[in-house]
Amino acid sequence: MSNSGSTLTTTPHRGRTGETILRITARVVGFVILVTLSVTFVVPFLWQVILSLSSLADVDRIALLGVPPTVHPESYVRVFEIVAYAKAFFNSFFIAGWVTLLQVVTSAMAAFAFSRLQWPGRDRLFLLYLATMMIPGVVLMVPNFALILSLGLFNTYAGLIIPAAFSAYGTFLLRQFMLTIPSSLDEAAAIDGAGPVRIFLDVILPLTRPGLIVLTIFTFLGNYNSFFWPLVLIKDENLRTLPIALRAFDTTYGTDTPALMAASLMAMIPPIIIFILLQRYLVKGIQLGAVKG
Amino acid sequence: MTVGSTRSRLLFALAFLLPNLLGFLVFTAGPVLASFGMSLTDLSIAKHNFYSDEQVEFIGLENYENILVGPESQQFFWPYFGNTVFLMLGIPLGIAGSLAISLLITAKIPPTKTANRGVLSAIVVVLTIVAAFAVWHATQPGDRPPGEELVLSVESGLSDMSTWQVERLRAVTATLATIGVGVLAILGLTVGSLFFRTAFYLPSLLAGVPMFLLWKTLYRPDGGLINAVLDPIIDGTHAVVTATPALLWQGLGVLLALASLGLAGRSVYTGVERVIHREAGASSFVGRLVLVLTMLAIAGGLVLVIYHLPASAAAAAAEGTQGFNPPEWLVSTTWAKPALIVMGVWLGVGGANMLLYIAGISNIPPELYEAADIDGANQWQRFINVTWPQLAPTTFFIVIMSTIGGLQGGFEQALIMTDGLYDTTVLTYYIYNLAFEDEFQLGLASAVAWVMFAIIFTMTVINYRFGSKLTNE
Repeated sequence: MSNSGSTLTTTPHRGRTGETILRITARVVGFVILVTLSVTFVVPFLWQVILSLSSLADVDRIALLGVPPTVHPESYVRVFEIVAYAKAFFNSFFIAGWVTLLQVVTSAMAAFAFSRLQWPGRDRLFLLYLATMMIPGVVLMVPNFALILSLGLFNTYAGLIIPAAFSAYGTFLLRQFMLTIPSSLDEAAAIDGAGPVRIFLDVILPLTRPGLIVLTIFTFLGNYNSFFWPLVLIKDENLRTLPIALRAFDTTYGTDTPALMAASLMAMIPPIIIFILLQRYLVKGIQLGAVKG
Repeated sequence: MTVGSTRSRLLFALAFLLPNLLGFLVFTAGPVLASFGMSLTDLSIAKHNFYSDEQVEFIGLENYENILVGPESQQFFWPYFGNTVFLMLGIPLGIAGSLAISLLITAKIPPTKTANRGVLSAIVVVLTIVAAFAVWHATQPGDRPPGEELVLSVESGLSDMSTWQVERLRAVTATLATIGVGVLAILGLTVGSLFFRTAFYLPSLLAGVPMFLLWKTLYRPDGGLINAVLDPIIDGTHAVVTATPALLWQGLGVLLALASLGLAGRSVYTGVERVIHREAGASSFVGRLVLVLTMLAIAGGLVLVIYHLPASAAAAAAEGTQGFNPPEWLVSTTWAKPALIVMGVWLGVGGANMLLYIAGISNIPPELYEAADIDGANQWQRFINVTWPQLAPTTFFIVIMSTIGGLQGGFEQALIMTDGLYDTTVLTYYIYNLAFEDEFQLGLASAVAWVMFAIIFTMTVINYRFGSKLTNE
């Protein structure tokens, strides 16, 4: 199938017109299927927009009408009046931002030690890192909860940020990137008298840029959407992240569908912007096996 | 770098490693050991806290016994495990969908030449405008007649609006929908495959609480979009089925069953023949078998539905409802899990798996297709003999990752959309309930986590042994 269109650009030979017509038909059918699929992927978002703009009275009959009889953008304002939604936006960005910064820095440093420095026991320790990546997250939930409680970090920003600031996965990913950098580069720098710190900052980090960007995007998006830890650790309304605020909104004011849809739509916008701006890195990262699991 | 003494090199390495290693030991390695230790105790925050001086007791494997064979296991663990496995039925569907979509995207369907793109886009723009005008003229109710506000709509839910108003809104909807489809087609032509890839990827990027809340409104039995679309379709089916003899549908079912069995048999036979004549290895046969069995399962489901259509139509008529009743989705024990599966497939079909398949397909050496063309292979033969075996390593990786994810997944969806009601509680939800909702029974919850670990580990080993056979040709 993957080459079906490649001969279309050459002039068809006499007697092969039938075949060409067949191929064009196949492409038209394929295109219609693609457009139909994209309709099913777009319609739920349009539905969300339409619901967010309807009046409370019209929400339940939008499915019968299509477009709302009157447009009510004030739901978008109501969200911020009912719950501390602006604070939730801030919290989500604040927590995801700190986690991303710390995780990228600690992972890059560790990846450097694992890929560019020679020291006894290095490969054995790295194997231990790899082994823990196989352990499902559910095993860590309970002891980490107990640990956070005993450290006095329950219901604090630090309780959400510090445990997430270290990642065996990030170390692994950046090590893979650093291994592709030719060792002649840092050897040359070492001959010129550069120490490990200089080599790390001036040689390795700039060349690992694509890897750093991939890890930044995945960590940020993963933590922006993170639900479980904020659900378990945060009780204070002022510390709620977006997913928690949305859930609270749903359980308390769930009947206000327009405001609920406005809130969920607004929460989806930052990832969409990040994706469209950095699409090329994201796709590359996923194809390198950087699937955050 | 091998500069400096062993001692100084170790010190430098430790300096770089320290922040990460510290976090790793405190929040990963330590907790893993602690978790196993906790699973052997009766630790519970309700019992052991600042205000009580009760000692945490070592109870050996008692927690595991309670979970797996105790009197409560039939009420909790096993049903929850069943729900988890049921929801994982979406995995093969999603993988098949990802593969199909990747094949479409890599088939270079939108024209690659700028000139061709321009001409085709112009044609579609004109077509869209014409179609939009046509739809508007066909559906709009004309000028507002005097006194129209007195002619109220008789449809339930719309009875406070006039017929004219309802018709007009529907005409606007139909016209906008036509324009929308046209815009998507134009984007597909001008941006090309990248547009479709982006559109299909967005749902998986946005999977999370906001998305689950959106789907909760889509699934509303009354006023939800899905049933609004489904209702006329299933009512139409009902009308057609009741108007035609039952034998027709049963015959159609039998024919479809025979046809799919025949095709499957032929494909398996070809595979066996190849193994006997040593044209291909046993692994290629296993790969072929997996594909045939998946397709057979899908066809089987379809056959059952078609065969039973007349009986279900009669049953619906006997109950006195008009047409078939649409499912109640998230508020019904029968349909809640299928609803979560459908949403899961929609969310995941264009996600990471699709991107992995696209990468896999573009890495297939073109010579293989050229060789297949010389042998006179048709599209299906090209797929089953070249594409599918070449993608085996990708499929293998996707199956392993999805199985691991599937066994642990399903918690967020259930909590947000059903509160775990209607048999949607999964194993992770069980841990959440035990550890964080009821009595904070941390020991018992840890034991469930280790049982899950054992299941995941076993599944991964099975996948690995089966899959390495499949991929090492």
